[in-house]
Amino acid sequence: MTAKKNTALRRCESHVQAVRDTFPGSVLDAAWQAEDQVTITVPTDMLPDVVEFLYYGRGGWLPNMVANDERPLKGCYALYYLLSMEEDDPGFVTVRVEIDPHSMEYPSVTPRVPACVWSEREAFDMFGLRAVGLPDERRLVLPDDWPANLYPLRKDSMDYRKRPAPACDVENYSFLYEGNAEETTQVPMGPLHITSDEPGHFRLFVEGEEIIDADYRLFYVHRGMEKVAESRLDYDAVTFLADRICGICGNAHSVAYAEAVEHAQGIEVPVRAQYIRAILLEVERLHSHLLNLGLVCHYCGFDTGFQHFFRVREKTMDLAVLLTGARKTYGLNLIGGVRRDILDEQKMATVKYVRELRNEVEALVDMLVSTANFESRTAGVGRLDPSVARDYSPVGPCVRGSGIARDVRFDHPFDGYKYLTGLTARSHDGCDVQSRTLVRVEEFMDSLTMIEQMLDGAPGGPIRTEDWQYTPHKYALGYTEAPRGEDMHWAMVGDNQKCYRWRAKAATYSNWPILRYMFRGNTVADAAIIVGSMDPCYSCTDRVTVVDVKKKTETVLTKDQLEGYCRRRTHSPLSGKGW
Amino acid sequence: MSIVVALLQAVLLVALAPLVSGIARKIRAKMHAREGASALQDYYDLAKLWHRCEVREGGSGLVSRAMPPVFLGCFILIAAGLPLAMQACPIPILGDIITILYLMALPRFMFSLASIDSAGSYTAIGGIRELLVGVLVEPSLMLVLFVMAVAVGSTNVGIMANAVATLQAYPMVAVVVAAVACAMACYIEMGKLPFDLAEAEQEIQEGPLAAYSGPSLAMLKLGVSLKQLVVASLFVAIFVPFGAAAAAGPLDILIGFIVYLVKVLVVFLLASVIENSVMRVRYKLLGRYTWFVVGIASLSLVFLVIGI
Repeated sequence: MTAKKNTALRRCESHVQAVRDTFPGSVLDAAWQAEDQVTITVPTDMLPDVVEFLYYGRGGWLPNMVANDERPLKGCYALYYLLSMEEDDPGFVTVRVEIDPHSMEYPSVTPRVPACVWSEREAFDMFGLRAVGLPDERRLVLPDDWPANLYPLRKDSMDYRKRPAPACDVENYSFLYEGNAEETTQVPMGPLHITSDEPGHFRLFVEGEEIIDADYRLFYVHRGMEKVAESRLDYDAVTFLADRICGICGNAHSVAYAEAVEHAQGIEVPVRAQYIRAILLEVERLHSHLLNLGLVCHYCGFDTGFQHFFRVREKTMDLAVLLTGARKTYGLNLIGGVRRDILDEQKMATVKYVRELRNEVEALVDMLVSTANFESRTAGVGRLDPSVARDYSPVGPCVRGSGIARDVRFDHPFDGYKYLTGLTARSHDGCDVQSRTLVRVEEFMDSLTMIEQMLDGAPGGPIRTEDWQYTPHKYALGYTEAPRGEDMHWAMVGDNQKCYRWRAKAATYSNWPILRYMFRGNTVADAAIIVGSMDPCYSCTDRVTVVDVKKKTETVLTKDQLEGYCRRRTHSPLSGKGW
Repeated sequence: MSIVVALLQAVLLVALAPLVSGIARKIRAKMHAREGASALQDYYDLAKLWHRCEVREGGSGLVSRAMPPVFLGCFILIAAGLPLAMQACPIPILGDIITILYLMALPRFMFSLASIDSAGSYTAIGGIRELLVGVLVEPSLMLVLFVMAVAVGSTNVGIMANAVATLQAYPMVAVVVAAVACAMACYIEMGKLPFDLAEAEQEIQEGPLAAYSGPSLAMLKLGVSLKQLVVASLFVAIFVPFGAAAAAGPLDILIGFIVYLVKVLVVFLLASVIENSVMRVRYKLLGRYTWFVVGIASLSLVFLVIGI
């Protein structure tokens, strides 16, 4: 708190000072991109020390690491470790290192700060930058059949329209088992599972019904959006692409991207637009949280609750239609403001909706909590230990259910949230599915209050500014609290009115690495609700591949066999194997 | 005459089972605030499945193939023997409680055997759960039926029904308590929520059912609907025999059958309401519920012994 009172220091300067004091000569450069964002460049060999110091020593959390091909600009690659400082002197400190384009290596931070693991794996997939000492060097983002030496995000690697020929025919991802029990059966959940409609392949290592360990393979639907944004769209059109990242919380991404560019370019967004953005973010949270509350019922076999939550959720969709013209809060953001104002009659109607929603959801939640078996199904299930949470920087209701009140809206107030009064981040310390569910319930009620406060508080005035000067190669962070947790966008614009590099981090990206720990010690029956309590997106498909270690009955089909069978519809490749 | 009644009973129950489950689905939809499919939807489903080709799972053998017909067959046999329209069993040898309990245990045994015959890991889990339900619930059911057998002096369900209908079952309190325990045990046995552990869709993807397709699946689905109907009928036949025909006249039997249908529909209505207002029990905690049932069943035994 001393840093805050000392007006001579800029925001986050205390952290830079601390790094300087602890590691003399380590800060090669410190530059502020925005009021609360500073980037320090450090020597490559100091990287793990500095990140660890900021993370554990200064109350930092790590949303993400961004790799960037800066050879055309500076003749090297660069890594940006983004740290969200949430204790004294809140803000964002980015640790930047430059990497020699010949060695392509840097010391891995993951052994010191586990939260870096996915970002460092991704940096290898996309750029071929190798983290020396990274414990898990498996592919993360690219599919199994992607050629080994093609790194799509390098500036000189490929056109975005290129489709490389598949490099292999079979799935070759190896699932890692870290448990102690020797004889386990592998139960695959996915790639498509009846309760998790987004493709994700979870491999459960079980003894009877007890889960000993779990591993997973995701990114089956990686769409290469970052590449498309860099090569095909102008920087001001990317807000609309960012909408499409998520089918539920698209607006949160769109706002985060717009604000990344606005912070970098120093664009002052009119206050009314800031309020409107925050209101729409909360509308999004309303329908997203109702979706998850419904799904909690569904996973517990209580479809009556599921259907009734969806019935009420329809009202929040109507609210979205009222405010944005569509059931999805898409297409509202522009660099510099929003496209649509909230008129007086819409304000009146919104207030009415909010009142109805509050009553109906309160009644439904009472019903949910008093339903037989709710307690036994959710309490103590899917435990996320606070110390695991501290190591991996999970976000949203997931971490708030473990007693850690991290919420971007309150840690780094942005947009309309700056003007809220009387609300704080919610948290429960049961560390289980029940706590995460209760956090969502409370946040839903808070969202209604926020919408009311912001509708009242929004001043008149313009909703968009066009008054700015475009400066190439400036970069900054944009951040929002999506319903599932913090969305973090990092954007650097180029000299061609396009994004030079855009890195969009969705909330769930931070949450997947902890899932393994949440699975352990639970039963197969609880697997679906544990995944569900993290709230990744869901619909429903049913296809299972089955491997039993003891029976050795795995059958792998090649792509050619399947394609041939699709055309002919005869001579099933499984016939003769007894399938 | 009684053979005709038995055959008629079996055919009618098989024919009505999809309707009853269809009505249960309709009630479910109404409680969900949905319109829901037609009450006849289960017939359409069965017809569609019957015309589909059958796909068998890798390495599965005779057991998997034999399970659906055995499953369905056992419950048809029980259906033929229960005193539904009349107060006496149409085929006395099928109305013995020992026969009935074994006829209920055989499909369960086959069901579990078939589940480990399949290579699927979810199916095996389903089979294990089915056995668990059996082990926990069957003792209570046996105890209750034993209490009734002692109370009326016969192991034949028809004689029990007759004794209850004429209010001659003694001691009265023991019979009433036994009825309560039997209702609970039958509800768990029906495999409805919160006790549908073996087929829990969200947890283990319908368990053993996932290994079947086409006509086998149709047979199995029909078997599951019939099982629910038969288990409900067992309770109704023994403890609510009022209105069933005392004499074997055709008109009496017709009236008896209509009364039976009304009774069983009421039972299903209640079951549907319960089913749609609870969450599925965690399979590890199933024991807590079944101990409760065992307790009540034991209580009826105590009342029987002390004679009140």
